[in-house]
Amino acid sequence: MLATGLALLVAACGGGGKKTESTTTTAGGGSSQQKTFPNFRIVYDTGTDYLDPGLSYTVQGWQVMWNVYLSLLGYKHVNGPDGATIVPALAEDLPQISSDGKTYTLTLRKGLKYSDGTAVKASDFKYAIKRDFLVDSPGVGFFTNIVGADTFSETKKGDISGITADDATGKITIKLAKPQGDFQNILATIFAAPVPANTPAKDQSTHPIPSTGPYMIQSYSPSRQFVLVRNPSFKPTDDVPATNPDKMTVKIVEDDSAALQQVINGQADFDFHPIPVDRLASVQQQHGDQLKIFTPANTYYFFMNAREKPFDDVRVRQAVNYAIDRNALVRLYGGLATPTENILPPTYPQYKKHTLYPLNVSKAKQLINQAGVKGMTVTVWGSNRETSKKPVEYLQDVLKKIGLDAKLKIIDAAIYWTTIGNQKTKAQIGFADWFQDYPHPLDWFDVLLNGTRITDTHNNNYSNFNDGNVNQKIAQLKQKATLNDQINGQWAALDAQIMKKAGWAPYVNRQFTDFFGTDIDTGCYVSHVLYQLDFSRVCKK
Amino acid sequence: MGALGSFGMATKPQQTSRQESAELSLDTAAVLAREEHGVSIAGRSPWYLAWRRLRRNYVAFAFLFLFFVMVTSCALAPVFANHVAHTDANSNHVGEDIKVGGKIVPVISAGGTYTDPKTHELRVRPVTILGPTWWHADGKFVLGADGNGRDVAVRLLYGGINSLKVGIGSALICTLLSVILALLAGFYGGWVDWVITRFFDLIWAFPVILLAIALGSALSINGFHHFGVNIASGSLWIPTIVISYVLIPYIGRPLRGQILSLREKEFIEAAIAQGATPARIMFAEILPNIASSVLVFFTLIIANNILTEAALSFLGAGVQPPNPSWGTLIAEGQTRLITAPWLTLTPGIAIVLTVLSLNIFGDGLRDALDPRAKIRVEH
Repeated sequence: MLATGLALLVAACGGGGKKTESTTTTAGGGSSQQKTFPNFRIVYDTGTDYLDPGLSYTVQGWQVMWNVYLSLLGYKHVNGPDGATIVPALAEDLPQISSDGKTYTLTLRKGLKYSDGTAVKASDFKYAIKRDFLVDSPGVGFFTNIVGADTFSETKKGDISGITADDATGKITIKLAKPQGDFQNILATIFAAPVPANTPAKDQSTHPIPSTGPYMIQSYSPSRQFVLVRNPSFKPTDDVPATNPDKMTVKIVEDDSAALQQVINGQADFDFHPIPVDRLASVQQQHGDQLKIFTPANTYYFFMNAREKPFDDVRVRQAVNYAIDRNALVRLYGGLATPTENILPPTYPQYKKHTLYPLNVSKAKQLINQAGVKGMTVTVWGSNRETSKKPVEYLQDVLKKIGLDAKLKIIDAAIYWTTIGNQKTKAQIGFADWFQDYPHPLDWFDVLLNGTRITDTHNNNYSNFNDGNVNQKIAQLKQKATLNDQINGQWAALDAQIMKKAGWAPYVNRQFTDFFGTDIDTGCYVSHVLYQLDFSRVCKK
Repeated sequence: MGALGSFGMATKPQQTSRQESAELSLDTAAVLAREEHGVSIAGRSPWYLAWRRLRRNYVAFAFLFLFFVMVTSCALAPVFANHVAHTDANSNHVGEDIKVGGKIVPVISAGGTYTDPKTHELRVRPVTILGPTWWHADGKFVLGADGNGRDVAVRLLYGGINSLKVGIGSALICTLLSVILALLAGFYGGWVDWVITRFFDLIWAFPVILLAIALGSALSINGFHHFGVNIASGSLWIPTIVISYVLIPYIGRPLRGQILSLREKEFIEAAIAQGATPARIMFAEILPNIASSVLVFFTLIIANNILTEAALSFLGAGVQPPNPSWGTLIAEGQTRLITAPWLTLTPGIAIVLTVLSLNIFGDGLRDALDPRAKIRVEH
């Protein structure tokens, strides 16, 4: 009972699901000139899971840590699609890739130091990857293609043979079992950020690991506050530029309205929370200059478990796609959303809009009758967050209207993903969303819809979608080192191929808000393609 | 209150012929009164006396009437939903339009984003959710719509049914179990009393709401499937049983105290001497003597349980969505507290009226049954 009580206390802490985001459509480019100021006061939500680079896997955690823990590679600190450009961060240059696409060679920048003054070594990269496996990081799946990673994953002893690091020269060589088109993106994830070799292989959120980026974490009180200050050892480069705030005080506030009010009252400079639906109009009218609306790369969808009846029948999955009114679902998000039937979000160059499922409730009923499942009981799963609860309540009603006996199961957000990602749960249908880890179609199709990557626990393929042709196509496209128009076309065709088999019922791409205090200069605003607002670029008027 | 009333006696003219009786009986006073004064003295049971005291308490009766109004209104929810509002508690009308005062309006307007031509900034056209139509839409959306386009008035009434079901159901279960445990503990004493009292202590050691949240959340995930009992996760039985369980010692302990005292009375000793079985002594001798306390506890605990249910549902550990209850409606409404305060106010007022009416009636009942008693449900 106590355990349950404690679980409730931490319930509000998990992230909405997965990672970050994509292109902004807002104007403004952000200033390259340094405009320092003493303290940037942020009101954050409860989504920060960890402040440990090996463990954090939420938008909130990564948004903070991309300015704290640098990987060998990183992304440009700029607005718009250019932000997806991979640049060297701790590495001197982009990797040299062998002709067979299986060997990556990088060299650490000279004279790098952690925030505690100790030298950054090439072997620290190797330790960071090993540590990911040792702490059961949610990011280990990204590194399993490295030679020897599978063995290390099982034994947790010895070395990962595919990574060699020379501390004297700073040279790092990574050997892959198979070519992998998105491996540079993976090297740019926070999971690949080097950490000192003496870092314990357990959560270090409250004992911050020495940093390599412009900031270091000074203190962290979970669910209350954390403070970031400048890293005295950091030296800016063209790609990781000098930053503006000297300090960032991040206060964690659960309630959206309370958070908004703090910024309006001048008690904080930035509100991370989405502005409550009923306050949007007044905030936009009265504080329009302080409000930014951006479109991250995300897709909200209903998963339908193809291993469980009645969703093992493609006609039932198609019926759900026909029955949901995507325009109605936009209204549930207060208008800050765009209807979609695609898996990829429209910010991707591989996106090609398809309209396979116009709203047609009578056709949905017909398909349910044809499948012979009328009256069958199904359980609709959702979390207790508003973003999930509203659409699943809608879905339950829709399923009832097309002839299924739908029950609703709402569980705490903190355990939602692990529960529906566990095969023993046998979750039939429910809410899911996805924010990109990195801007590559593999982060969607390979992670979420590749039948060969279905796992018993921590499964990301909630639909258990397993189509031989789709799996084969993903494997084939995964080996393409570059994305050109022809390859992009193939990804778009794959999107349609999956949706013809109704692997998901996608419904919206959402938009979000950034709200600033009156003395923040929104001319410096940088909404990054992956990490959303770049705290380090914020400046005052 | 007059002296006669306080002694449980009343007089009235005797119209029948005078009867002589030389024998004395248990009703000697009545016989003598009849013989000497030509009047009969009607016996008055404690229940009659209590009723007489209660019926003079007009405030208590007014609030009892209010409680019945609340219950009747909620009980008529299906009639209102089917014949007036033409919907049910969980139907989403998010993409639909309705006619209000002859004008077609969307239940939730379309909304969306657009690029401001001047600033080139992305701007939002926020959705507007239908407010109260009162009676301008033929009874539809009288109190407006919620964020899923559901009829708030219909949900308020159905929410009342669920809240009352949980409140009254849990009060019944809680009272029944408490009485049985208190009788066993008080009558048998010894190790039985020790075990039951420690059980009370164990539950008492936890703050009520915290324990209820823990149990409610744990059971709301997978339901209860033990000892041959199968309760589904969204069932109303879960908050009902959780609330009744956590409040057992709050009734059980004071009743046990009363029974311990009664156990030593002469009439119990007499019953034992006459060879009465323990069950007979507990249920035929002791129970009637604590019945007035049980009745008062029952009334007060209903009010208390309705409040506990509201708190649990507000925190997500009580009635599970999409089923409404007054607590879940308050929780749902708080996100729109500034622009649509009626979403929170209406279930809040309903709770206040129901709990207030039960508490005031309960106080009146307590005064009527035993004015010296200090029965409270406190935790």
